This record gives sequence, C-alpha cells and structure tokens, in this order.
Amino acid sequence: MSKPMIEVANLTCDYGHGRGVFDLSFTVYQGEVFGFLGPNGAGKTTTIRQLMGFVRPDRGSAKILGLDCFAQSSKIQSNVGYLPGELALMEDMSGEGFLKLIAGMKGLRDPSRMEELCNLFELNPHQRIRRMSKGTKQKLGLVCAFMGSPEILILDEPTSGLDPLMQNRFTQLLLKEKERGATILLSSHLFEETEKTCDRVAILRAGRLAAVEQMQKLRDSRTRSYTFVFPDEQLAQKALAQWGGKGQLEANSLSVTLDNAAGLPELLGIAAECKACDLREKSQTLEELFLHFYGEVQQDA
Amino acid sequence: MHKALFCRDVQTLWKPWLIFSAILTMYIVVIISMFDPSLGESLNLMMESMPELFSAFGMNNPGATLLDFIANYLYGFLLICLPLVMELIMVNILMTRYLDRGAMAWLLASPNSRTKIAFTQAAALVAAVLVQMAYITAVGIVFAQISFGGELDIGRFLYLNVGLFGLHLFLSGLCFLGSCLFQEGRYALGFGGGLGILFVLFQMLSQVGEEAEFLKYLTPLTLFDPKALAMGETVWPSILALYLGGAALYGIGIFFFGKKDLSL
Repeated sequence: MSKPMIEVANLTCDYGHGRGVFDLSFTVYQGEVFGFLGPNGAGKTTTIRQLMGFVRPDRGSAKILGLDCFAQSSKIQSNVGYLPGELALMEDMSGEGFLKLIAGMKGLRDPSRMEELCNLFELNPHQRIRRMSKGTKQKLGLVCAFMGSPEILILDEPTSGLDPLMQNRFTQLLLKEKERGATILLSSHLFEETEKTCDRVAILRAGRLAAVEQMQKLRDSRTRSYTFVFPDEQLAQKALAQWGGKGQLEANSLSVTLDNAAGLPELLGIAAECKACDLREKSQTLEELFLHFYGEVQQDA
Repeated sequence: MHKALFCRDVQTLWKPWLIFSAILTMYIVVIISMFDPSLGESLNLMMESMPELFSAFGMNNPGATLLDFIANYLYGFLLICLPLVMELIMVNILMTRYLDRGAMAWLLASPNSRTKIAFTQAAALVAAVLVQMAYITAVGIVFAQISFGGELDIGRFLYLNVGLFGLHLFLSGLCFLGSCLFQEGRYALGFGGGLGILFVLFQMLSQVGEEAEFLKYLTPLTLFDPKALAMGETVWPSILALYLGGAALYGIGIFFFGKKDLSL
C-alpha cells in the first residue's frame, strides 16, 4: 500500500450543542483524491481546520506526513496548498498584490506557475479584491492554493461560485495535479462534484463519519432516476406498459428509477420506440444516495 | 521576522501613521509657538481660574523654561492619547481585522510559524511607534530652534522622548496583547482601548484631588512623569520598568497567539 499522507485518528472537536466532529478516523494515501462529502454543518470545515492546525483537537490526533497538525503546522505547510471554504481575502489589496504577498509568504520565487494558473482560470489579477465577484475571488483563492505545486492539496468546497466552464477547468486541473502525484483532499456537499475526480469518498453526517467508500462502488450502486416526456399520454402509457408498469405516470411524462445501470439500454429502447421527446436525469441527493447505499448493504447482510 | 509580510504591513500602516503624525505636528507647532511671556501669563491666569481642569490634563505646572512648558502642555495628555489611538488603529490593521474576518488563514497557510507571524506584526507596530517618536522629537527640536533659538535644553528633551517611547511601548504592547488574546474584534480592541482609557482616566482623577490620588498607583502612566524628566530628575528606574513591561506584554501576546485555537 502507498504511503499515508493524511492520518486522522479518533479526532474529536466538540463545539457543544452537537456541533463539531466526533471520533473521526480516516487515512488519505499518496496520490489519492479523497472526497469529503456531507451536508452543510456536517463537520467538513471543522475537520479541515484541524488539518490546517488552526484548532487543537479535544481528543484524538490529526497528522500530515507523520507530523502533528497543530504543533508542527509550519513544517507541514511547506507541502500543503490550502483553499479556505469561506474566502476572507485582504479586501484592500489588488489581486496581483495579494498573489505576490502569498507567494512571498510561501517563499516562492518563480511566478510562472502563478501566471499559468491565472490564464487557466481567465483571471485578471489587476482588479481590486473589493470589486471582485464571488467567482473571481474563488479563482484567486484557487491560484493561491495551487501555485506552489504542493504535495498535498486541501480544498474546502473548491468549486463554489465557479461557473460550469470554470468548474470543468478546475476538474481538469485537479486530474493533472493527480497525475503529477499530488494527494488531494476536497470537501463538497454535492456528490456529482466529487464523482469525476475522487478515488474514495468519506461521508460525514452530524460530525460523524458515516462511511468511507471507493468511488467506483458508490457509483455502481447508485440508483438512477429518469423522467421521459412523450408527445402524448397514450405513448407514455404504452411505454409504461412495455416497461412492466414500474414507474410513475404524470400526464405525458414518465419517471423511472433504476437500481443500477444494467436496465438502461432496454429502457432507452422502449423510450425511443414510443418517440420520447425529452429526457431528464434527476440527481440523487446525498441523503438518498446514502440511504440507498446502506439500505442495500444491510439487505445483503 | 518575515520580510514579505513586513513590507505588506508598511503598505497598510503608512496612511494612519501620516495622518496622526500630521495632527501631532500641528499640536507641537501650536503649543511651542504659544510659549511667549505675555501669552504664557494669560494661560497661567486661565489655569488659575480653573486649576482642577488643567491639572486633570496634567497641566498644572507650566514652569519657567521652554522645556517645562512643553512637558506640561504636550506630554501630559496630548502625546499620550493621540498616539494611543493610533496604536489601537494599527493593531486593528495588523492583527484584529485579519483574525476577525478570517484572512489570517492565508498567512498561517504558509511555512511560517505563528510565532514568526505574530513577531513580524509586533515588529511593524513597534517600528511605526518608534519612527513616530523620532519624528515628533525632530519636529520639536527643529521648531523650537526656529522660534526660540537656543532656548530648548536638547539633552533633556531627548530624555523626555525616550521616556515617552517607553510609555508607548507599554501601551501598544497592551493593545497588541488584546489582539492576541481575543479573536473577536470588539473584545480584542476593547481590551487595549478600554484599559488605555481607564489608565488615562485614573491619571486624570489622581491629579485633580487628594481623595483620588491613590489611583495613580493603578495606572502605568504614573511611571512616565514628563515634568520630572524635564527637570532632569533621576527617574530611569520607572522608565526602565515601562520598557521591560512593554517588552513583556508583546512577548506574552506572541506566546498566546502561538498556542491559541483560532476559528478561521
């Protein structure tokens, strides 16, 4: 097995009123993209704060490269790129000034990677940060996180505020960084966002680790819901009948849920035959995904 | 100390420094030019008519020489309070606003220890205060020479300003400590500002009447006695105490900042 880069063991940080993280344990290995999934307030950012050494754990430990995240944070930081979830930039500066300051803080001399990243995200750094839109600020934060080509990237909701085009570029960048050998931990509250990039995901619920799973396994076991729209009700009814009656009919639209991808070709065949004129995929919420996945595991057992 | 961060600090501090230095220049010039036998007499008359008010501001003994006059009217109140306000503003710029809004996360997400970052910010604050003290000393000397050539005892005036820097090292250290102890802006600034105002009030009250005189033992401002410094009295132990106390306040602040849980 490859080298453990981030090790979290029985980590607890209690903020009271059930907030915080409790008894968290997971390991991220070298070269892995590790997703941190959970609804708002599940404890993703709290865990990341522990990893960054901003807060000391109440119990348990958090280590990066075998070093304690709080006591030895400055040693760890030379190998880490960090993007905070809540961007608080130095509003009085220009983007360029801020990038230079951060490069100076990190001791980076060569600005070529920084410029490359600015071009990638089409970021004009000459603007005042105060006047930047949320998306532009996010790009600035991403450039800061990636510019040192660090061994480890810790990204808290990295795509928030980005438009779909930029989200795509970000995904490409992440895959390239992975190729380079970087270890990446990223948090998100959307399954789709982690789907393309992550090898494994941890699911957090109310501060506790609900599961750590291979992405492949989650993807395979995910249910798929589709809604077909037909030209008229008769065709919709015909399609439902051909599919064996398992679906919900609503006027001229038919919703079907598949447990896995196996039935998809047949379903598409029927839809085509009945002249379906529209198809929409209903994305599954994290909670639905979770319930489905674990419901199934329990049935197996 | 971190060079890039220090440069950034200089960029953020020069504006408030300039504004306060300009205000201080104005006061110094106005007060020194008021040193004039006839004007001095009318000031003395005014002082005699409301002695409590004047002594509250430490202006109860205008003295005979230009230095005594300056020590009385400038160093008793104005040169204590105005730089204190500037120090509070600078602590906000250097520490509190980064901590309160979360931008400190960017500084900490770098291969620099918290101690180093806090030390750099402390050094920037001390440098700003030191340069200001040097500046007002120069303004005082130059303007006194222009207006009343040869009247100012420069040696003792320098000594007076060495004392003033000691006091401000202490007061700025107090403000800095507040920013290290509390992350939330109102508490961080409330600590330094609140104690600063309290100390000034204690001194004012202690100077007015005998009933409140004991209050002078509750304020570090007592350690800085401009009139004694102007008279050339041996007061270096209390000045030394201010320097040591100031250094200790900065040290404690940096130490706490290194250990503290920060919600960034």
